[in-house]
Amino acid sequence: MKTTPAAVGTDRAPAAKEAFYQTKRFRQNIPLFVMLIPGVLYYLIFRYLPMGGLVIAFKNYNFRDGIWSSPWVGLKYFEILFQSNVTLQIIWNTLNLSVLSLIFGFPAPIIIAIALNEVRKSWLKRWIQTIIYLPHFLSWVIVAGIILTLFSIDGGTINKLLGQWGMEPVPFLYRSNSWIAIFIGSGMWKEMGFSAIIYLAAISGIDPSLYESAGMDGAGKLRQIWHITLPGIRPTIILLLILGMGRLMEVGFDQVYNLQNPTVLQKAEVISTYVYKVGLQQAQFGLTTAMGLFESFVGLVLVLSANALARKFDQGLF
Amino acid sequence: MRESTGGKIFVIFIHVVLIIISLTCILPFLHLIALSISSGHAVDLGQVWFWPVGLDFTVYIYFFENTPALRAFTNSVIITLCGTALSMLATVLTAYPLSRRYLYARKPITTAALFTMLFSGGMIPTYLVMNSLHLTNTYWSLWFGGLISTYNMLIMKSYFESIPGEVAESAQIDGCGEVQLLMRIILPLSLPMLATLTLFYGVGYWNMFMSVILYINKTNLQNLTVIVQGMLQIQGNFNMSAMDMMQQQEMVSEKLKAVGVVVMVVPMLVVYPFLQKYFVKGIMLGSIKG
Repeated sequence: MKTTPAAVGTDRAPAAKEAFYQTKRFRQNIPLFVMLIPGVLYYLIFRYLPMGGLVIAFKNYNFRDGIWSSPWVGLKYFEILFQSNVTLQIIWNTLNLSVLSLIFGFPAPIIIAIALNEVRKSWLKRWIQTIIYLPHFLSWVIVAGIILTLFSIDGGTINKLLGQWGMEPVPFLYRSNSWIAIFIGSGMWKEMGFSAIIYLAAISGIDPSLYESAGMDGAGKLRQIWHITLPGIRPTIILLLILGMGRLMEVGFDQVYNLQNPTVLQKAEVISTYVYKVGLQQAQFGLTTAMGLFESFVGLVLVLSANALARKFDQGLF
Repeated sequence: MRESTGGKIFVIFIHVVLIIISLTCILPFLHLIALSISSGHAVDLGQVWFWPVGLDFTVYIYFFENTPALRAFTNSVIITLCGTALSMLATVLTAYPLSRRYLYARKPITTAALFTMLFSGGMIPTYLVMNSLHLTNTYWSLWFGGLISTYNMLIMKSYFESIPGEVAESAQIDGCGEVQLLMRIILPLSLPMLATLTLFYGVGYWNMFMSVILYINKTNLQNLTVIVQGMLQIQGNFNMSAMDMMQQQEMVSEKLKAVGVVVMVVPMLVVYPFLQKYFVKGIMLGSIKG
């Protein structure tokens, strides 16, 4: 009796079959690895090689000897870092600005997403969305330009308005408290609409029948939001909170650099701007690399601990 | 469904708040555009709100003729077009293999990429690497420095993974190789995602600021963002130090600020509406899996 071709395949010994799939898998992998070459090179050269360069935080770096041959200085730069009032103030400023940004900026997109979800007229919803996403796509240079136009003391729109009402001009950008308020407000203005997209996606995944039955049980809008919407988007909220925690040590360079001015530097100088000014422009590589390393390290610890905490509630990211 | 009076008031309140927020997002631009094309006199008297008073385009002419803005604009276009193309290519070529389940070492490579989102060498070591490769003062430092955004790469990878496996398998049974599979099947199915990431990279390169001030010292290579930022900075000092400057000149400089911002924003405003419908879809699809 002849076997059909299909039966030959099934009769083949398991080992041979295994070997067949192994060769097939290997053959499939060759083009994939070729494709991966640019990506792997990028990550190795421009992401991982600089991590190796962090050793200059422990070295007296000079251009002549290069990274590897420069003499070791141990923890000298870290001692300077934590003994100098200037650097301590800068670390404090960094935390201050980023914690305030997180406290005010984090809930804003959640509120916007919940509010947008209540807009039933789809044309209005689309218009609002289109407009509030826009600021996200502008550079901080532009936003800073807008802020200067609105708030500057001479010729700023708001001060012109105050002048027309017979009031004294207010130096909004030169007082540290109003500067911080403008800093946080501008961050919220720029990102809250766009960040709402992810929450909107999460809300659209909630089963509508939950709202219907809650409505029948007599739950009002606010109760529905509290008992259905918020629990429904909790995983998303926690995920984004972890990511936000990880970024606590870094306030964006572009935002601070473009908004700060010499008058408020006492409160407005942060790690990244200091590293740029003192490290690169004055070539103090060791000290500022130590500062950057401290920033990255604390950021890493923060994100890992936030994740460990979230894991306790089964919401961990890794 | 019937709604209570309280519910109705709540919904009206929400509408009012959202409309106010939208207005704060759009009115500053109308104000700046109006400022930039109004007469200097009207600007100085504070008469200009959202509608230009006494048209005057001389500052635009001044902006492009007497400042490095025109060359900077060209530089921005070159940086953006080449950078976006390179980044998209590298991102697709990395995301696609990582989305294939049969790739060897798939997990470790993905983790290694993910780790760079949590920890980095920081500004100075990165600068020293760029410098030792002689990439500073070339656009390669801008293109290579941010070649792949790990976040973009990961959402593209999860998008590729969301394409049903049967589609790829049937093509492979028909003798389709990896490259053909990517080009003919996967990419055409991923157009919303490709459009989204093109927009993100494009905007990133157009707005690029920090990398340019770090790596590019030569004025003739700088982009529009840096040039406009320089104008805003100089102006602050200029207004404080030279109080005896002629009124006329001060008006010009204040309008110059508005012109710089408008010139940077307008190309974005032109492209944005066309890509907007894609990116919302793209982000939503990418974010659901996370």
